[in-house]
Amino acid sequence: MKAAPFAYVRPATLDDAVAELVRSAGEGKVLAGGQSLVPILAMRLARPSTVVDIAALSELDFVRRDGDELVIGALVRQRTLEGHPLAAAVPLLRLALPWIGHRELRSRGTVCGSIAHADPAAELPAVACCLGASLEIAGPHGRRTVTAAEFFHGAMATSVGAEDVLAAVRFPVARPGEGFGFAEIARRHGDFALAGVATRFRADDGEAAFTAFGVSDRPVTRDVTGLGDDEVADLARDLVDTAGDTHGSREYRQRLVAALAVRELARARRAAEGGTA
Amino acid sequence: MTLPRPVRAEAGEPVDVTMTVNGTEVSLSLPARVTLADALRDHLGLTGTHLGCEHGVCGMCTVLVDGSAARACLLFACQLDGADIVTVEGLGRPDDLHPLQEAFGSHHALQCGFCTPGFLLSSYDLLAHKPDVAEEDLPVELSGVLCRCTGYRNILSAVSEVAGAHRDGIPEPRNCGHHVLMGHTAAKPGAKSAPEPVGVEEIELPQGDPTFTVEVTQELTASPEKTWAVLDDIDLVAACLPGAEITEHLGDDRYRGQARVSVGPIRLSFAGLAQVTERDAEAHRLRVIGQGEDVGGGRTQAVILLVAEETGAGTRLRATAQVYLTGRIAQFGRALAGDVSRRMFEQFAAAVEETAVSGVRTTARKPPGALALLAATLAAKAREWGRRLRRAEHNPPTHPKGTQR
Ligand SMILES: Cc1cc2nc3c(=O)[nH]c(=O)nc-3n(C[C@H](O)[C@H](O)[C@H](O)COP(=O)(O)OP(=O)(O)OC[C@H]3O[C@@H](n4cnc5c(N)ncnc54)[C@H](O)[C@@H]3O)c2cc1C
Ligand code: FES
Ligand code: FES
Repeated sequence: MKAAPFAYVRPATLDDAVAELVRSAGEGKVLAGGQSLVPILAMRLARPSTVVDIAALSELDFVRRDGDELVIGALVRQRTLEGHPLAAAVPLLRLALPWIGHRELRSRGTVCGSIAHADPAAELPAVACCLGASLEIAGPHGRRTVTAAEFFHGAMATSVGAEDVLAAVRFPVARPGEGFGFAEIARRHGDFALAGVATRFRADDGEAAFTAFGVSDRPVTRDVTGLGDDEVADLARDLVDTAGDTHGSREYRQRLVAALAVRELARARRAAEGGTA
Repeated sequence: MTLPRPVRAEAGEPVDVTMTVNGTEVSLSLPARVTLADALRDHLGLTGTHLGCEHGVCGMCTVLVDGSAARACLLFACQLDGADIVTVEGLGRPDDLHPLQEAFGSHHALQCGFCTPGFLLSSYDLLAHKPDVAEEDLPVELSGVLCRCTGYRNILSAVSEVAGAHRDGIPEPRNCGHHVLMGHTAAKPGAKSAPEPVGVEEIELPQGDPTFTVEVTQELTASPEKTWAVLDDIDLVAACLPGAEITEHLGDDRYRGQARVSVGPIRLSFAGLAQVTERDAEAHRLRVIGQGEDVGGGRTQAVILLVAEETGAGTRLRATAQVYLTGRIAQFGRALAGDVSRRMFEQFAAAVEETAVSGVRTTARKPPGALALLAATLAAKAREWGRRLRRAEHNPPTHPKGTQR
């Protein structure tokens, strides 16, 4: 359970970080909070030649409001955001963050790290998809922005290439009359979800959507504007794309995700109509 | 929290890291792949941080990093440049436990104790950030640490009691002052190695009854004057004490020093202060109060009286030490600790004799060899048993009530 040796660099700028990744020719790995990477290294599931620690990139250490978006830099830890006053503008984040592992993991895990890691059962990729967040990626050919819908390619596969750094994520802030819901079922608190759902509802035009996670190789979003509970449940059931495993059968996951989608959409609607999120 | 410095190290090449551990700044130089947990345990001797799974699941290795609980097995030590770490050793000291530690004790919230450091620091973080946490939320809030003895019910009631008693905030860790952290890997030449001793310069007077008292008398051939000449020079006195060293004269007959003792697998490294409280050249009496602390927060205090008395043939050196132990050294067992101390005094007396006779600074510069000390202690024990046995043969024990019969 000890990582194999690796070269360790902690560059001072984002450009240097990208240059280091280019130098290591596909054999480098970004280290953010390390809460997923360190166990992978410890189990020697990965043996990168170089680990590029982004901890000194002060330019990425920010949470800021930019018009109707909340922008979160790559150094921002999950727990920092949990207690951040600006995070109130994105109520779904507040609902979802406490579900990530345990306090002890959120102390170090970053918001962008979770999105870049793209575990199919992780909470933040689902939040990003449900809200239509966008991702700022810095690479050898400059910066580009990718929508959440395009970003997730599959389990642990994203638009972040081997020479890229996910610099920031932009979450749209909630508008008045928008409500949200979030819930998941795990074997015990802190485990990855067997199935989970993030929802949003807009009171003025009735627009409704949910994102299911843990049931497929990436979060999946469905627009369910105007649909009744049974139709929502059917849609949700159809999203289950994983076979059964020791933790639950395929049918069990289907029932979970259907029940959660209906329940959390109702919660989002109540929040929207009650004026609270 | 400050951002760490930029760094580059090839695979296997050590990375310098300076962090504060339980209030003491330490500088280490380690390969990047060494985790914080391993750095604490193997390089700083802080073995209170336990390792269970080594991949973030069990919570045994939980410590505070910049005030928040984090998994020490999921951090490379080199990431922590400039960080502030608190381990269970920093939470309280044996004679001044943190309220959480008190509560764990009184609620029987530890069985084997393997999970206890993790639970203490996880619950410290919880109460520090959420002093108003509801009792019914505790099971979920503390679910990041696993107890293989399944002592959860008692753990929850311990934390609940402390939460109730400290709604305005949990008391700070109690043992985050200056410590001597052992096994420091000195950074590259020129880099700062051992922490500069800072903090308390005052000797605390021992309180209560000593853990044990040692009295040794040794006949020396040197004259009382020559013997006194050794006792009167604190550097010579230290040189005669196995493993001891004076590192700084602080003035007013106060000194800073260190001592290393090893007995079998036990290795203790003390740093501390000594103060001469009586120096009587006429009566050849020297009284010293010494105080040392080891890395585990264990404390030793000793009041030592040395008297060189005139005999026809030379000097009778009388040494009396009242020794006060707290912490893990106390677990050493009084008898063994007493035996070891006695052996040390015998070696000391022999070294004083040699120094007094030869006039040259002498011997005992090395810590007492583990084997030699233990062998001597065991030999002494064997002799004592032998004597008892012989005495028993001569005077068969009477039945306590036998005389009545
Ligand atoms: C016991 C346990 C339970 C957990 N439970 C959950 C859970 O319930 N839900 C959940 O979502 N997560 C969970 N996690 C994972 C944890 O939340 C991580 O924080 C998160 O997945 C990764 O974030 P990080 O900042 O630690 O990234 P790291 O571990 O540092 O990196 C993860 C991966 O992403 C890449 N990466 C990170 N940041 C960037 C970046 N800025 N640019 C490019 N690439 C980057 C790394 O190269 C690596 O491949 C758990 C982890 C453990 C150990
Ligand atoms: S040893 Fe670190 S969490 Fe298990
Ligand atoms: S007391 Fe034994 S593991 Fe918790």
